[in-house]
Amino acid sequence: MDSRNKMLNMLLDIGEELLKNGAEVKRVEDTLERMGRAYGAVRMNVFAITSSITVTMAFADDQEVTQMRRIVNSGATDFSRVEDLNGLSRRFCEGTLAAEELQRMIGDEKKKGLSRKRLYLGSIVTAAGMCVFFGGSLADGAAAAAFALLICIMQEKLQPFCANQMIFNLICAFLTGLSIAVLARLVPFLHGDQIMIGDIMLLIPGIAMTNSIKDIMVGDTISGIMRLTESLLWASALACGFMAAVWIVGI
Amino acid sequence: MDVTIQIIAAFVGSLGYGIIFNVRRGHLISAAFGGMLTWAVYLISAAVTGGIIAPSVIGGAFAAMYAEILARIRKAPANQFLVVSLMPLVPGRALYYTMSCAVQRDWLESRYYGTQTLQYALGIAAGMCLVWAFWDMARKIAEKKRQLQTEKGC
Repeated sequence: MDSRNKMLNMLLDIGEELLKNGAEVKRVEDTLERMGRAYGAVRMNVFAITSSITVTMAFADDQEVTQMRRIVNSGATDFSRVEDLNGLSRRFCEGTLAAEELQRMIGDEKKKGLSRKRLYLGSIVTAAGMCVFFGGSLADGAAAAAFALLICIMQEKLQPFCANQMIFNLICAFLTGLSIAVLARLVPFLHGDQIMIGDIMLLIPGIAMTNSIKDIMVGDTISGIMRLTESLLWASALACGFMAAVWIVGI
Repeated sequence: MDVTIQIIAAFVGSLGYGIIFNVRRGHLISAAFGGMLTWAVYLISAAVTGGIIAPSVIGGAFAAMYAEILARIRKAPANQFLVVSLMPLVPGRALYYTMSCAVQRDWLESRYYGTQTLQYALGIAAGMCLVWAFWDMARKIAEKKRQLQTEKGC
């Protein structure tokens, strides 16, 4: 593989990581375009949507290099990584970071796993906070935090076996809703609806929705509509799951 | 008293969201603080204008502005601040009651909450768009000015 193809492959690695970790399409296109120009391309044609990136780099000696990358959404957002990659690309564009060095650092970046502790801690805090925020009592908040743990465990153990995010949301919401409804029936001072509202906030695709509106706003209509449709489907699956549980147990 | 608890809960909830999405430790508190401020702004404007749309527009616009300004100061991507700051405006409660009233076949109530959910969503989106449009314009004007100045300098 010649060095230009190698470089483009690395650019796609960066684009993929950015997209997967919660960056907007516009930022990905911008970053790749700038880095390509810094490398020496006279023209960069970058087209990104949430499920693929296509790049053609044109050089001054009439050579053109094209590569396409299919993106399978991992669903795990990591803003620290977006910021790290951003810093790397800025340094590369300023010329203070060589291509070989960049390659090595991106390799390191990819190896970093997600910390489970962070997910658990964050989910507990969010569920409890949001439950109280929407009018639940402190006891409701504590219960919401406990069920947040259940959701995290399902995200870890069950999600890999689900066909897609929609199915997972449906099953996860149904099981969570079922256990909340049963608990609320057994313990009279807990409010089932408040606990569910707190836990819904964990599963609601907030980032996807915000990003899709941002994408549409800046002119990336296709990716925006795609992501918006996706997130609406996820949200409806979520609602169906919880409501099926409420309907069965009755609270 | 209720309002104080709610605003503190908004901070806690936003903080948790920031932890889930691995916002860097140095940005975490300021991002969660954005969530708290956004909710305070929403409450104040709701007290002044009433309704849902107007305060959501103002709340969404505030969150977007806060995120852009903070991103400029910290030299970090704005998205992380925006997502965390918007958290308290997400209409989880209205969405829940839309569905649960539908399950109980209380269509009148369901429609009421459904309209509320839509109003929140549209309001937030409109508020953010307003800020981005003007922010982009201001940035381009500033760039043009700088260009003109360097040309004169030569």
